[in-house]
Amino acid sequence: MKIVKIFIISLTFLVVFGHKLVLAQGGLSAYDIITQSRLSFFYAGDDMKAKVLMELVNKNGQKRVRELTMLRKDYEEGGNQKYFMYFHQPADVKDTTFMVYKYPDKDDDRWLFIPAINLVKRIAANDKYSSFVGSDFTYEDVSGRKPEEDTHTLLRKDILDGKDCYVIESIPKSASEYTKRISWIDATDFLPLKEEFYDKQNEVYRRFEAQEIRGMNGVLTITKRVMKNTKTGHRSEATFEDVEYNLGIGDDIFSERYLRKAPVQWIK
Amino acid sequence: MDKIRIRTLFMIIMSGALFFNLEEVGADVSKFHGFAEMDYGAKVSDDNTKRDNFNLLEQRLQLKTMYTFEGENYEPRGVHSHKPNVVYGYLAEKSSVLNFKGDFTVDEYFSGKTDFELRELNITLTPYRLMDAQFGRQIITWGTGDYLFVNDLFPKDYISFFIGRDDEYLKKPSDAMKLSFYPSPANVDFVVSPFEPNTIPEGDRLSFFDSFQGGIAGVNSDRDLLEPPLQLSNNEYALRIYRNFESNELAFYYFRGFDKNPTSYKDEAARQLFYPRLDVYGTSLRGPTSGGIGNIEFGYYNSREDSGGNNRLIANSLFKVLTGYEKDLGSDLKIGLQYLYEQTSDYGNYKANLLPTDFVFDESRHLLAQRITKLYKNQTIAVSLFNFYSPSNRDGYVRPTASYNISDQWKATLGANLPWGEDDLTEFGQMKRNKNVFFRARYSF
Repeated sequence: MKIVKIFIISLTFLVVFGHKLVLAQGGLSAYDIITQSRLSFFYAGDDMKAKVLMELVNKNGQKRVRELTMLRKDYEEGGNQKYFMYFHQPADVKDTTFMVYKYPDKDDDRWLFIPAINLVKRIAANDKYSSFVGSDFTYEDVSGRKPEEDTHTLLRKDILDGKDCYVIESIPKSASEYTKRISWIDATDFLPLKEEFYDKQNEVYRRFEAQEIRGMNGVLTITKRVMKNTKTGHRSEATFEDVEYNLGIGDDIFSERYLRKAPVQWIK
Repeated sequence: MDKIRIRTLFMIIMSGALFFNLEEVGADVSKFHGFAEMDYGAKVSDDNTKRDNFNLLEQRLQLKTMYTFEGENYEPRGVHSHKPNVVYGYLAEKSSVLNFKGDFTVDEYFSGKTDFELRELNITLTPYRLMDAQFGRQIITWGTGDYLFVNDLFPKDYISFFIGRDDEYLKKPSDAMKLSFYPSPANVDFVVSPFEPNTIPEGDRLSFFDSFQGGIAGVNSDRDLLEPPLQLSNNEYALRIYRNFESNELAFYYFRGFDKNPTSYKDEAARQLFYPRLDVYGTSLRGPTSGGIGNIEFGYYNSREDSGGNNRLIANSLFKVLTGYEKDLGSDLKIGLQYLYEQTSDYGNYKANLLPTDFVFDESRHLLAQRITKLYKNQTIAVSLFNFYSPSNRDGYVRPTASYNISDQWKATLGANLPWGEDDLTEFGQMKRNKNVFFRARYSF
């Protein structure tokens, strides 16, 4: 009886993880790696809450701070998501809230609440390459890009900071902000460790680095990430604190009601 | 004026008492935020207002704070009995929040007059899962326009707008009760408030078209604006029902109250104007359209005291339609276009009842508005041009602004208000002698 049990468990293990094991040993395509990386990075957990501290530093070292609480809820793995953001800092945008319905196949829906005039404004969102709150991160950097939008090639395997990773080149299929992106993706957990964005002159103009990765609620999370504009010297460092996953955030939070009256229990 | 002062004083005492009470029961009053600001606006055209070289020179300190009631088994500090505070307990249970925002001002236009303007003092609570309530002084905004309003009949301050104060001051607060319901088919907002008029030019700071003076008037204007008396039957009611259909937002509006502007004559000999009763029925739709955001909004203004349009002293009913489109062109460049059409109802009756000496206003008005905004240097510099143009009124209003966030605390804004017009009695034409250039420096904390 015991033997049968062990056999069944082993078989289950094989069915569930064997597939992955085999692929990881060489069968994974560049497209599969990018797809898996997007899920690990942007779709971890069913929902998420984090306090994000962003420092925007210009080449002279002058610093600006953006502090916000971010809520995210996934509706389908790799599919629709909703985001809610509440700004704590700087003082002139304090209490501003921002909501995004993210659809991988069409433009986002975005709403901004400006507390000073009690106005809920609809934000035109067809430019996913515009800067997120003045930082070096674009909206796409913050919420992800569909793997189908680029052609991916596995260049080589590499070791970055002692970690095995895949180095992948992604070329956009249609006009994009960049002409080429090179990504270093952790071979074990698929988080992006480094990304370099190339411009028309084939020069790196933006560089992303994951500087700290920690297990939060059992989910590996990039808790410190930096995006540097190598042309202007401007850089943005985002630190994620108090990251929690699978909190059961209600669908109703992502509504005009809570844009106007920030949900105290979630944003603290 | 006295009424307002007494009310303000009452509000200050009330807010003081509230915060004192909170301290007393051991609550941690969360930090104060706000800004200190210096504003200066120089005139670039002549008129006969109180001062001929500037119409804005003031210092302002805004303080705001919010207090969240929380904790279920709350016990008052230093009190030996362990009896929980019932009121506090209720407010905490209903996730209540107390909001305060007030501006202390020193206005050099009126020779350094100091003032306190209470912008917000209200409490919001969630008495039931699908309902919110907000009581007290608050700013309420709805509708789909950009600087143009069809179904937002909440009070505005057009003097602030035309002299170059921050956009925040275009909206005046209402002393209101706002109830919001969120059942699944649609959301509902219901607002009750006493009448509060728009603040409009009256000659001392900004010149305007005064029909009693037969043209553009300044300090010589001596008209008398009669507000409806403060009584229950003069309360105003505003209703909005809205819901989303996928990415589109549909809303219906109803307003019952008074015209926000003194459009009608009570007694011509005594130069008295009043705010006639008004009902507004409206609807709006907003959503993604060809790579941008499109909106359309209708409103029918029923002038209840002259619904047939036969009384030449009272404004006729009116139909308004507003459409708009906004698009992000990339590289932090945005454009917005709007078109507003207004048509007076029963224009024939209006014309037939005019006296030969009356000024004649047109039956309809076309107004185009366009906004271009471009951000530079990691969105720290914002350059914006807002332009109104009415081909039917042959007037317009150009509003360029440039602002720079020097740091997270310091912000400098430079702008101009340039209304123009061929005639003296049109909306912007009457403002043409109020051209100004303004500068604001703000420190936020």
